[in-house]
Amino acid sequence: MIEDRAREDIAFIRETIEAGRTYATSLGSDMVVWGVAVAIGHLTTYLRVGGGLSPGWIWAACIGLPWLYSLRRYWRRFLRNRQPTHPGPMAKAQQMLWLGFGIFLTTLAIAASWTGEMRLGWFDAVAAGALGSTVFATAWLASLPWLRWVAVGWWGGELLVYGLRNEAEMQLVSAAMMLLLLALPGLVLVTRRMPRRSA
Amino acid sequence: MTDYDHAAIDEVLHSRVRLAIVAFLAGAGAADFSAIRDAIKTTDGNASVHLRKLEDTGYVTVEKRFAARKPKSVYRLTEAGRRALNEYVTHLESLLPSGRQR
Repeated sequence: MIEDRAREDIAFIRETIEAGRTYATSLGSDMVVWGVAVAIGHLTTYLRVGGGLSPGWIWAACIGLPWLYSLRRYWRRFLRNRQPTHPGPMAKAQQMLWLGFGIFLTTLAIAASWTGEMRLGWFDAVAAGALGSTVFATAWLASLPWLRWVAVGWWGGELLVYGLRNEAEMQLVSAAMMLLLLALPGLVLVTRRMPRRSA
Repeated sequence: MTDYDHAAIDEVLHSRVRLAIVAFLAGAGAADFSAIRDAIKTTDGNASVHLRKLEDTGYVTVEKRFAARKPKSVYRLTEAGRRALNEYVTHLESLLPSGRQR
């Protein structure tokens, strides 16, 4: 009996520590992965002038792989037949906000590529504006006031990207924004809450 | 069969709620009050009482600040709290036959 109770307690402690880690790093690590992947997509598109791999394949990888990463908690749940580790309403709201944003942008990207509208250059400005709104809402949900300034950066970037929509340099600006306004804030979120040493 | 040493049990962590708080903070590093309350699935009052007890024992520290004009309490696990959790887990593991901890 004592052994069973001890075993249960140890399992409970490990699950709760895991829930803490999920709370601390889930949003930040997603932002880092998406920021870096999409920046690679923009840079590769910019450098691709003159031949090489089709942008369609590049973007399929730069969007598909982060999706697999972001859906990891659902894979784990499916594979282990377990409940998600952090069901708090604010965390859930953030997850759903970003999930909805990702679905919106991915479906719009597919539609714009399919119809050839992507060449007109407006898509990246729309993406920047939508990212600004999502980051702004996250700043309130997560009580992270500094993140509001990141949202302002995205809205400013939206205007800049729209102004450069017919220039190849738009790809460089978009890549820089992904690194500075998505990957970097994500890295800050990961590091500021990371425990120094696990129990 | 192993010996059950009551004296070795940390009375503060023997409460399931306090144990959950300490374990959650061990993973999170720092968390605000609402995140802790949601994670351990309890009420404001219950979470508040147990956090106060942990604070009094020196296992957690609290930093009170304002975010968007609202008061916000951010809790962190202290070295003493982390050490206590490690010792608690070690004690639980000692109750198991070796090689059968999972």
